[in-house]
Amino acid sequence: MTFSIRKAMAASALAVGMAWAGSPAYAKTQVNFTVAEYSSKTGPYFEEVAAAFEKENPDIHINIQVVPWDTLLQRLTTDIAGGQAPDISIIGTRWLVDFASQGIAEPVDSYLTPEFKSTFIDTFMAPSVIDGKTMGLPVAASARAMLVNTDLLDKAGAKAPANWDEFYTTAEKLKAVPDTFAFGLQGKEIETDAYFYYSLWTHGGDILKGDGTSGLDTPEALQAVTLYKKMIDEGLTQPSPTNYTREDVFNLFKQGKVGMVFTFPMLIPQIKAEAPNLKYKVLPFPEGKAKATYGVTDTLMLFSSSQVKKEAWKFIEFAYKDEWRTKFDHGEGFLPVTKNVAAEKYYSSDPDIAGFAAGLPYAKFAPTIANWEEIADTTVRALQQIYLGQAKPDEALKAAAADINKIRSK
Amino acid sequence: MKSRTRIPTTPLLMILPSFLLAMSIIGYPILDLAWTSMQEVSRFGKMMGFVGLVNFSEVFRDPLFYSSLVRTVIWTVAVVGGTLIISLPIAIMLNDDFYGRGLARVIVMLPWAISLTMTAVLWRWSLNGRAGLINATLMDFHIISEPIEWLATAPLAFTVEILVGILVSIPFTTTIFLGGLSSLPQDSYEAAVVDGAKPWELFRYITLPLMKPFINIAIVLNVIYVFNSLPIIWVMTEGGPANGTDILVTYLYKLAFRFGQLGKASAISLIMFSVLFVFTIAYVLMVMRQEHDSADEEVKHDA
Repeated sequence: MTFSIRKAMAASALAVGMAWAGSPAYAKTQVNFTVAEYSSKTGPYFEEVAAAFEKENPDIHINIQVVPWDTLLQRLTTDIAGGQAPDISIIGTRWLVDFASQGIAEPVDSYLTPEFKSTFIDTFMAPSVIDGKTMGLPVAASARAMLVNTDLLDKAGAKAPANWDEFYTTAEKLKAVPDTFAFGLQGKEIETDAYFYYSLWTHGGDILKGDGTSGLDTPEALQAVTLYKKMIDEGLTQPSPTNYTREDVFNLFKQGKVGMVFTFPMLIPQIKAEAPNLKYKVLPFPEGKAKATYGVTDTLMLFSSSQVKKEAWKFIEFAYKDEWRTKFDHGEGFLPVTKNVAAEKYYSSDPDIAGFAAGLPYAKFAPTIANWEEIADTTVRALQQIYLGQAKPDEALKAAAADINKIRSK
Repeated sequence: MKSRTRIPTTPLLMILPSFLLAMSIIGYPILDLAWTSMQEVSRFGKMMGFVGLVNFSEVFRDPLFYSSLVRTVIWTVAVVGGTLIISLPIAIMLNDDFYGRGLARVIVMLPWAISLTMTAVLWRWSLNGRAGLINATLMDFHIISEPIEWLATAPLAFTVEILVGILVSIPFTTTIFLGGLSSLPQDSYEAAVVDGAKPWELFRYITLPLMKPFINIAIVLNVIYVFNSLPIIWVMTEGGPANGTDILVTYLYKLAFRFGQLGKASAISLIMFSVLFVFTIAYVLMVMRQEHDSADEEVKHDA
């Protein structure tokens, strides 16, 4: 009995010892990198970059942790609260201000050499600058645009709309095509508010007014939402938008069941893979008082708690080499954030990507303000009440604006 | 007085270490939660200083808290009530001997083997307005002519979620009841049958009273599970549309991990804990008093 216990203990001690010796933790500097999962290609891509980096720097080991977007913020929150924060992470730029104001993000100006800084497109660098300090680097960018199903447009005898009046009349014509819907309107979960901002911005409104208060109580916002509500009521959208997430609406488009949707570039690879026969065209959002699109960036952030900032930065510089950036942007369907990649012929010759990139000069970004998620949720609640007919548009918007001003303490 | 109820110290001392261990495992998180709820907590869980009851007063001024609380009560009562009403007949049926009973028992237990989140994901897909299986089936049978958007409006979505909640609670409750039924004394039934009792009377006057302790256990445990249950509502609607299906636990999750208000979330969490604690104590006391009363009655009858 005792003998067997002793034997078992000896065996496990040996196992522990071997695991220790075999572990790369032994002598190398460990850099922990949390990666947001854009698609199934994201994890393998970063593993490849890390492997190439480790080949040149045998004394550094990069630990890649791939986390889905839906749980990323929660994961980072618990990691930070538990003192287990990674050294670098991809985050949504809209969260950066929260990280920066809590002293969790490390300003990178002292690491950023002028040559390295000049590789970035300024438009995408700007959202990461908070109070004059660069708190992170743009890692991914996309702009939004309208997709129309050209087969359905031909069937309805309608032309692709350039402004909101045309958009409405086109929708009316599309409605006549049986078994399809004219306009796919998102009303559920993540980015329900973004679907509304497209209309808000092109109608001349904005998320925040010049004085920093909510822009939801403006006539432009009312106009933007009333148009959506009118289209719901007249059957120009799919029925009950509050049951349709972004993916649900895009699925309808892939199935050829909806004439017009507002979307991101990442839908294009999906269409090519899942619905190769679908005939579509990428167009700018309908114009109202203004031209606009939603520019979205993600940020690569260095944690102030990191003990290995120098090594982490070395890896960051490596990962921004042109060959890696090209592979990343092409693979995920993003717009380039570095000048050299943007200069590639691909971004002007490919009609789909060019269609999305065309909006960049007048792209609007989500404001970098604290409590953004809560503000977005307040907006979504108001929109859902309006779409469902539970509240009058002007009242719901005014109430939401008041709530948002309270959250912003304005 | 002292001599009459001499406390046996040795056994108590022997229990003490494991009692302390249990208390530290159970008690520490609650104390930590209570401590957190009285702090200003940063978005990322750093304590920024003691603020007393500010978090609580914020919770009590929040209209969404009250509507979530009301919905939590509806959700708990409806799911637990529905589960009990359905599980008892199922358990009685499964307790009878019939051909294929083993298979039937396995089928009833199966939903238990699937994670709650997976079940909820499955229902979310099935209930999808255009691509869902439920609408397709109903339309094939010509029961409905237009697809129903099950999760588009709050009242319908909440009803559907309650039904799913009942479905996933049935296996556990049926198991408790089956255990109870198989332990019931058969001679009472035989005696009653000899006296000419009908099946309904057997159920009403023998099964139900004898099953009371098991029903009570099922109520307490189910209330605790259902009251705290996040996955079904979170996966199917995230508490939407327009917070119309939010119960306390989904609201608290949103506050903590979306909005980063960990202090306020801790306060709600502590309130939920107190509600459950009070409910459990009150219910156990009530049950104990009832048993005490009926025991008294029996003594009187005997006299």
